[in-house]
Amino acid sequence: MAEINVENLKVVYRGVILALQGVSMRAGTGEAIALLGPNGAGKSTLVRAMAGLLPQYDGRVLDGKIVINGQEANHLPALKVAELGLTAILEGRPIFRYLTVTENLRAAAHKLSPQRQKEITDEIFTRFPRIYERRFEQGGYLSGGEQQMLLLGMALLTEPKILVVDEPSLGLSPKLTEEVMRVLDELRRDKGLTLVLVEQNARAAFSIVERVYVMEQGRVVFEGTAQEAQADADVMEFYLGGAVAGGFSEAKRYRRRKRWV
Amino acid sequence: MDFSLVVQTILNGLANGALYAVIASGFVLVYRATSVVNFAIAEFMLIGAYLTYTMSLFFPLLVALLLALPLAFAFGVLVERGFVRPLLGRNVVAVIMATIGLAATLDGTALILWGPDQKAMGAADISQLPKEMPNLAFNMGGVFLSSKAVWSLILALPLAILLVTLLKYSRYGILLRAVSESETAALAMGINAPRVVAVAWGISAMMAAIGGAFLAGAAGGGGPGHHLVLLGLIVFPVAILGGFDSVPGAVVAGLLIGLIEAFSQLYLESFLPGITQAIPFLIVLLVLLFRPYGLFGQHRIERV
Repeated sequence: MAEINVENLKVVYRGVILALQGVSMRAGTGEAIALLGPNGAGKSTLVRAMAGLLPQYDGRVLDGKIVINGQEANHLPALKVAELGLTAILEGRPIFRYLTVTENLRAAAHKLSPQRQKEITDEIFTRFPRIYERRFEQGGYLSGGEQQMLLLGMALLTEPKILVVDEPSLGLSPKLTEEVMRVLDELRRDKGLTLVLVEQNARAAFSIVERVYVMEQGRVVFEGTAQEAQADADVMEFYLGGAVAGGFSEAKRYRRRKRWV
Repeated sequence: MDFSLVVQTILNGLANGALYAVIASGFVLVYRATSVVNFAIAEFMLIGAYLTYTMSLFFPLLVALLLALPLAFAFGVLVERGFVRPLLGRNVVAVIMATIGLAATLDGTALILWGPDQKAMGAADISQLPKEMPNLAFNMGGVFLSSKAVWSLILALPLAILLVTLLKYSRYGILLRAVSESETAALAMGINAPRVVAVAWGISAMMAAIGGAFLAGAAGGGGPGHHLVLLGLIVFPVAILGGFDSVPGAVVAGLLIGLIEAFSQLYLESFLPGITQAIPFLIVLLVLLFRPYGLFGQHRIERV
């Protein structure tokens, strides 16, 4: 079992800033979902909450529930969440920049036996030959795409059941974004992972997920399959039309569809 | 120039420098792991030296030193858990003031527990002869080295090099360097960052205990007293010369400052009395002016 359920989650930062205002979402075992939304929608807050990392950002769960593999995880610290099989790749490509590629991988593999570590590291080097070529270089000197690949490799070494990836395409060229999405999809299928993909690049996300949640201002404003999302005029106008300046709430039909808010 | 005198000065300088290296590498380790400048490092030395002294009342000196190490480690972990952890993430000035407060508290505690008088290792009374480690003093070809210097060279120097090696190559060393870069990213990868940080404080206290015990005269007679707090100030020039965030840098800088002090003592002290104490701090001024990253300080990696 590798599923995550979020029910009516409210998160507050510094006791006053309400970043999530009752978000509900779920990802079933082996499913891939995308969380879409503009800057400030609360996507990264949701990732932090799922990973148990809110205290690191001076945030806390005010109300609601996060259930990971049947176990309530609202107030679990990050280490306990990791033990439940959830690994989060946070936004901004948080590799260890002063560690070499190999050291980054060793750091992520801290719980594995040397034998298992070697097996998975070999697999990572086979999947990402470029990472193998640069294995003795400091992580900070890798390109954005290489750093993203390294992060995926590090995540694999934690043997996750649920993988949450925050904005993997940020700052990458379209070609590299496509490559990252292909790898994510491949990993999910090979490993049977449950994937929660947080993205602003909707077109990239649609290619590999089954269901989509659109968030805005701390709320989920759209929920449906990837096909439904692509067929929805508002979603498409907001994400792919590029003509709406004021955010999702300004999309043509948004105000008429009260059920969203 | 008397060749044997130069060799003797070099060896003595390295022996003293090894002690500076041990203490400063622990200090830098804590700075790397938690970004806390531990202004209580001299008191860590003091407590370590007193712990060695207490153990030496019951055991031979070498055994006492070895027994004091786990106690010092536990002390370091305790300080981290009870004092440092709640302060992490606070304003840097607040943390600095807090560690200065910690220094005063530890100073007072040592005063209450062990009294104001200087102790003699292994002797309940200062009038008794202090216990000593096995005498390793030697005189060869005109080169004389005291037992204290030999012990320092065979114990402290390898220990400092061992710490550098472990930090570079061991799994725990890699975890420590990872946590020092980003605790949040480490936690996201399931690394037990709080435990790693606590271990860093424990190791730092252990290193300070070794340095403190030796500087207090563990290997060559004598014993701990509050003068150690002043000796502890040497950590800051060593750390700054080394680059402040580099453990290998701290080791090299410790040895360098030890050597410079030894040669200053030999050649400068006669016509500039007191210069030896001032030289490490003059070096700090020059380093800060001309090479703020020190010898081995990390340059920030920024992709452009």
